[in-house]
Amino acid sequence: MNQLRSGLLGQIIKIVLLALFNAIFGYMAYIAFLADQPIIGGVLSAIVIVADIVYLHPKFIASKFLLPGLVLMSVFVIVPIAYTILMSGYNYKTGNELTKQDALVQVLGNGLSQDASGATFDMRLGKKDGKLVALLTEQTSKQVFLGENSAITELSADAITTDQNGIAVATNGFTALSDDEASASEEQIMGLKFADGQGKFIAPQATDTAALMYQPLTLSDDQKTLSNSETGVVYKDNGNGNFVSEADGTVLYPGWREFNPAQNYIGLLTDPVIRGPFLNVFVWTVTFAFITVFIMFFAGLALALALDKKIRGRNFYRAILILPYAIPSFMSILIWNGMFNREFGAVNALLGFQVDWYNDPFLAKVVILVVNLWLGFPYFYLISTGALQALPSDVQEAAQIDGANGRQIFRLIKLPLLFQILAPLLIASFAFNFNNFNLIYLLTGGGPTNVLAGETAGATDILITYAYKTAFGSAEQNLGLASAISVIMFLIVGALSMWSLRRSKVLEEI
Amino acid sequence: MKTARFFDSAWRHAYAWLLIAFSIFPIYVVIVSSFDPTGGLASSSLLPQRFSWVNYEALFNNPAVPYLTWIGNSIFIASVNAVISVFIGAFAAFAFSRLRFRGRKAGLQALLLIQVFPAFLALAAIYVMMENISTVFPGFGLGSHGGLILIYLGGSMGVNAWLLKGFIDTVPMELDEAAKIDGATPSQIFWKIFFPLTSPVLVVTALLSFIGTFNEFVLASLFLQDVNSRTVAVGLQAFVGAQFGANWGPFAAGSLIATVPLVALFLSLQKYIIGGLVAGSVKG
Repeated sequence: MNQLRSGLLGQIIKIVLLALFNAIFGYMAYIAFLADQPIIGGVLSAIVIVADIVYLHPKFIASKFLLPGLVLMSVFVIVPIAYTILMSGYNYKTGNELTKQDALVQVLGNGLSQDASGATFDMRLGKKDGKLVALLTEQTSKQVFLGENSAITELSADAITTDQNGIAVATNGFTALSDDEASASEEQIMGLKFADGQGKFIAPQATDTAALMYQPLTLSDDQKTLSNSETGVVYKDNGNGNFVSEADGTVLYPGWREFNPAQNYIGLLTDPVIRGPFLNVFVWTVTFAFITVFIMFFAGLALALALDKKIRGRNFYRAILILPYAIPSFMSILIWNGMFNREFGAVNALLGFQVDWYNDPFLAKVVILVVNLWLGFPYFYLISTGALQALPSDVQEAAQIDGANGRQIFRLIKLPLLFQILAPLLIASFAFNFNNFNLIYLLTGGGPTNVLAGETAGATDILITYAYKTAFGSAEQNLGLASAISVIMFLIVGALSMWSLRRSKVLEEI
Repeated sequence: MKTARFFDSAWRHAYAWLLIAFSIFPIYVVIVSSFDPTGGLASSSLLPQRFSWVNYEALFNNPAVPYLTWIGNSIFIASVNAVISVFIGAFAAFAFSRLRFRGRKAGLQALLLIQVFPAFLALAAIYVMMENISTVFPGFGLGSHGGLILIYLGGSMGVNAWLLKGFIDTVPMELDEAAKIDGATPSQIFWKIFFPLTSPVLVVTALLSFIGTFNEFVLASLFLQDVNSRTVAVGLQAFVGAQFGANWGPFAAGSLIATVPLVALFLSLQKYIIGGLVAGSVKG
């Protein structure tokens, strides 16, 4: 009976939660569709449908437990990874952010020219039959037109009311727009166009004036060429997100993001402007990750060996030496950053130097290695201690009986065994430092960077900080190239992890 | 023989003291500077000159540096993330450990592979994605705590499911078999048997996740541009990065305040953290 009641209660809770979930997500999907974001709306709807099926159907027991995590992981981990790969195929950077259609609208808009006649109009906006219309009074001839449905009709003098300046302010069925209404629909107003029936059109210049304009640019049907009827210049789609003049190479802005799957990668390998900094960064990333793991591991292993014997004060040493690992790393890095300051840094004060650590590429690298040693040696001490305790003692005893001395036992037996045990963790640590954004960004910011020489990457930039600068830097934001660098990092990190997982046999144990 | 033993223990002590000096140095500097009224880092002497609370007062009374708001933001984000991610991890771990379904093994392997990619590797894609979301749902897009938490949660299943599966595996099978015979459904088995049994482990996992999120900088700095929405990590970095000389004293005070509780938390969980590291190291 008790069992039944608690089962019923569980059912009720489940139904109520599911109903709430449906209501909230359904409403959010509705809003997303309204806001013209069909992908977001579609994803939300799909989540609702899948959740309803999984939680209402008596089968799918495992999915009931896995669904929340799976949904979050798919949307916020797998989709960004897939999107990164997709974006790396686009020429997606400052000046090339729009779709081709949006870019064309702007290019054509920029190309508009005022008609040679210089005709301008006073404009009064209003509503007629619920639609936005304009009363246009030519400023010199005082001819009056009604702009309606993208066309104009001339109005005779007796059909209109004019103010003291001779500007038409009213006509039949016309209700003037209030200032509030006008400012609320400004975007719509500036998009108005009334054709004059002779290839030209009247377009607003402000909310109360308009001018006779014409479009010298014509787009070919395949959208590959734009020709300027006035100057005779022909602009061709260069296949890389811009219309470029064939004659003198003038580029029309804005450009659009063009899908060229291999271009960013080819650029990384062949374009000297991109390849130079990329190769430097790549070499330093690998060197840094390798050296820093090596130093930290040996410092930590030496400490583990030093404290492997029961010496006096061992527990005290242990408690203090674990502190760097316990302090939030972003805080330690910022503290170290200040301590290496040239003028008032504690390091210079202690050593009696006046060294400008951050302005010299070599010294900046030394700073990074020293700080990372501080951050990381406790971890290597801990894992080495763990591994030392896990070493099989029978092998050592056998070696002892065979007459090996302490040093031989260490060098020939303990060390190789340690390496074997710790290899997966060393690889993981290599992968971690390969992506150690915080260390580089918070300590040197990737610098020193010789901006005057046009350098885009600093001497201590690693791939992830370089990708960050490429994507969100101040000069040019190149999301496509940054994504290509990310993809390269995915491949390296993925390969390293696969290798180390295979080695540790985790994958087979499941 | 005696001298050999002396040298053997001497190098051990010497090396330990060398590393202790190295470890303590920045901690010492921060404590001293936080109480140093001149505000700048000691330029003439590393020894404390005078004692005052000036830096602490400056930190709390500077409207341009809403330090308490930052702490609040960090605690909010880290707590929400910790609680939800532990539940997600526990559900997944239970399913992988106790239920038999198609794709179980492949799913576990896929999880292990996916979790090696930190979210920030895809930062350009995440930025564009969240920018789009903020046009519809500003509370879950760029600049919002909600959006940041969602990104953190995305990675939580990969990490926590593996961690917790190990613990759930140790609960004897007989328990849930007995419950099954009594007619309990899988969700009743989870809530009535596993949840109470593993709750100490869940708390530890939540606290570890809390520490991890508190430490996170890249995504938080990309997301939280507004001064009042920042976390401690992002706020303090912007504050001290703007002017190391002038802001060093208050920064030292701020970092001490934020660090002490976290270090205490870490040390109290030491057993579990180190246990986990060692378990990983001896697996091969």
